[in-house]
Amino acid sequence: MWFPFWISRSCIAFLALLTWSLVLKLDASPAVDLNTVQTMVAAGKIAELKVLGRDVLPVMARLYETAALAERTRIAQTFYALGWKSADAKRVLIKDVHTPNQQLRLEVQWALGRVSNDDEVVTVLLNNMQNDANPLFRDKAACALASDQIHLTEQQKVRLFAGLIQALGDSKPDVRRIAMLALQIQTGQTKGFNPDGPVAERDAKIREWKQWLEEYKSNL
Amino acid sequence: MEAMARRIQIELIAFFCCLVTTASAQGGSSNILVSYSFDDAQLATGPDTFAVFAKSRGTVRLSGTNKLSGYRSVEIRDVAGDGDFPELQGYFAPRSKGKLFLHFAFMTATPHEEFNIALAGPQWFNLRKDGIGFWLKSREGHLCQISDSMPKKLFLLEPFVWYVLNVTYDIDHGTYDLLAHREGIEKPIVSLERQANGPNQPGSVVDKFSFIGDTGEDKSNVTYYVDDVLVGIDESIVHLPFVAPGRKKLFIDYWSEAQRDRHTQPGPIAAIGLADFGIRQKEMDALKAAGSWELLLQLINGQAVSSGVPRQASAELHQLLYAVALWSEGVKALRDRKAADALKSFDEAFALVPSAKIYAMNAVLSLVALQQWDVVDERLSRIYADWQDDVRFVPAMAAIGLARDRLDEAEQWLQGPAEQVPDELGQSLVRQLRSGPITPGLLQELKLRFPDNWDDYIKDAFVAEQYFLVLLWKNQAAAAERFAQRMADRYEALGIPNSRWYERMGDAAFFSGNFTMALQQYEKGLKGNEQNPGILVKLSDVYFRLGDLEKERVYREKIYGAIESE
Repeated sequence: MWFPFWISRSCIAFLALLTWSLVLKLDASPAVDLNTVQTMVAAGKIAELKVLGRDVLPVMARLYETAALAERTRIAQTFYALGWKSADAKRVLIKDVHTPNQQLRLEVQWALGRVSNDDEVVTVLLNNMQNDANPLFRDKAACALASDQIHLTEQQKVRLFAGLIQALGDSKPDVRRIAMLALQIQTGQTKGFNPDGPVAERDAKIREWKQWLEEYKSNL
Repeated sequence: MEAMARRIQIELIAFFCCLVTTASAQGGSSNILVSYSFDDAQLATGPDTFAVFAKSRGTVRLSGTNKLSGYRSVEIRDVAGDGDFPELQGYFAPRSKGKLFLHFAFMTATPHEEFNIALAGPQWFNLRKDGIGFWLKSREGHLCQISDSMPKKLFLLEPFVWYVLNVTYDIDHGTYDLLAHREGIEKPIVSLERQANGPNQPGSVVDKFSFIGDTGEDKSNVTYYVDDVLVGIDESIVHLPFVAPGRKKLFIDYWSEAQRDRHTQPGPIAAIGLADFGIRQKEMDALKAAGSWELLLQLINGQAVSSGVPRQASAELHQLLYAVALWSEGVKALRDRKAADALKSFDEAFALVPSAKIYAMNAVLSLVALQQWDVVDERLSRIYADWQDDVRFVPAMAAIGLARDRLDEAEQWLQGPAEQVPDELGQSLVRQLRSGPITPGLLQELKLRFPDNWDDYIKDAFVAEQYFLVLLWKNQAAAAERFAQRMADRYEALGIPNSRWYERMGDAAFFSGNFTMALQQYEKGLKGNEQNPGILVKLSDVYFRLGDLEKERVYREKIYGAIESE
């Protein structure tokens, strides 16, 4: 198809302008380089990182993978502070969700829910809350479930609530206590569940919670 | 376009200066703890009344376009990804027992964007005892209540539809009854009893309420409106009717009010938005940053004077504030019939901030009061483009027409020239003058082309319009309609676009209550002039009066933006 000459000229001019503006744009886009991010993370410059935007997340994930323990802890803290969803962050953090290093473990457990609403995060935290050998890690996993699952949808909370209600029946009193506390922070109520009460009474209250969960699901 | 943008922008006066608590608030003898009508002009922010948080890009401001009753509602607009949410938060004395009655209305423009409405206690907006008691949120286009710690759907939200909610909140039992009405439907669309409060906690104290965008991921771009908020301990509150004397304020309402308010001498035109003062978002931010916001509000409310405006770090801010102070003094002077003083103040204010359109208009009205007609028309032509689509302009023009002399004399004086459309209208400039907006460029060209009698043409154009409006003012709608018809016919015969006169015929039909005829005339007026915001507003109003809310919405959205589709 032929176009009048002036249109062709216009098109060429337009394409030239477009190309030039793209060049300028590329040239003007802020560089998110590894060293800059590393420096900011080390200095705890959260506000500056936020200015750089979410492009820092994969860079931080790369840094995390090659960092020593202390630096990983700082990066995990930074992921937590940013509170931005990132599959890269979740991928690298979850590898350390069972680390015996206390500081790193706590930071990772806290940060995971703030970078991801993947089902795996809730699952692994519920598992740590109930089954980790270290009571401190169990307790802080419960804290993370109570307060840091900031990206969960109402549908995704079903898994969280189900896990916490199931943990109310745990044989370990501290697990029952922290599960109840997490549930209370999430819902604002206890339904009278006493973690140290008699088994029959606890079972009755757990049934109440299960009924509540069924109603919750039916409203979704 | 600029005028339209101006209207769409911040249409109404700063939230603070008009958000009213008829606040029998706190501790009066009334059973009303809080009452926000958003209509009056008092200022009562503070820890015992309300606070507004709009620190990021979201806004909380008055809206005169969408309201359930009276003149204004509050518009809450959130912006996704801006790191914060806008909030209107109100306070009342803590209630730890008994019943509390809550009444409010809301309307959302964006049903699929999240917003939250809550009643809470000293533990703030957390789901726990003494925290959130009553909580509504929108979710996927539905309004939901959070009851017994779970979201429960109430109804599908429709855009630009008012809903009125009445809540009887039983503090002792931790339950509430909820009644929701939708405009246009007599029976409640929701009627629930003994719903568990948010965290299912009896005895949960409440002392505040809040209207916000989204709470979590900062993803909401909601725009919604709140009106008629009442909190009290008197059951009569929940029996308040679905008051919709006008779900919106029709253009005719401005006219009627102006008719009531005006006497023989025109008063100052009222400010309805900060844009009237040349204050837009940038200036608002700068004033807040400079700590001068309170002063601005005091100046607008006449609680401070020009001599009290301190020297600012920024000369621009000082000029803005000083001009508002002068305007305030001018308004007072004009009301006190000191038109010369008023003119001086308005002129000085205009010289300081030429982008503030209210100063120039009030200067014209001062000149009208001084009967300086030779200057009135010239000045009016300069500001015509800024004002022609403003709802305040038509009554102002009528008042000017009336003030040319006593009413009957004005009619006699006007009748002659109004009908004398020249037979020879070859000059395109005169055609433009009669058929389109009077722009500064057109004015300049007229002066160059007709240096000796350019103002006669201006006056002639105004006189026809004013004569028509005087007829309307005298409630002679049929005569006004006939006059407009003759003008339209004459223009058509002369080959001049006549949509403006069809619009006028529509106005007259509207005033007569003949909405079907008004509709036909406005549609004719719109031909070849499809984006005319003045006619679009009126079409929206006509459809509203005809009970066709769907078409009312269609035309309203042509001016105020389309709703995002699913």
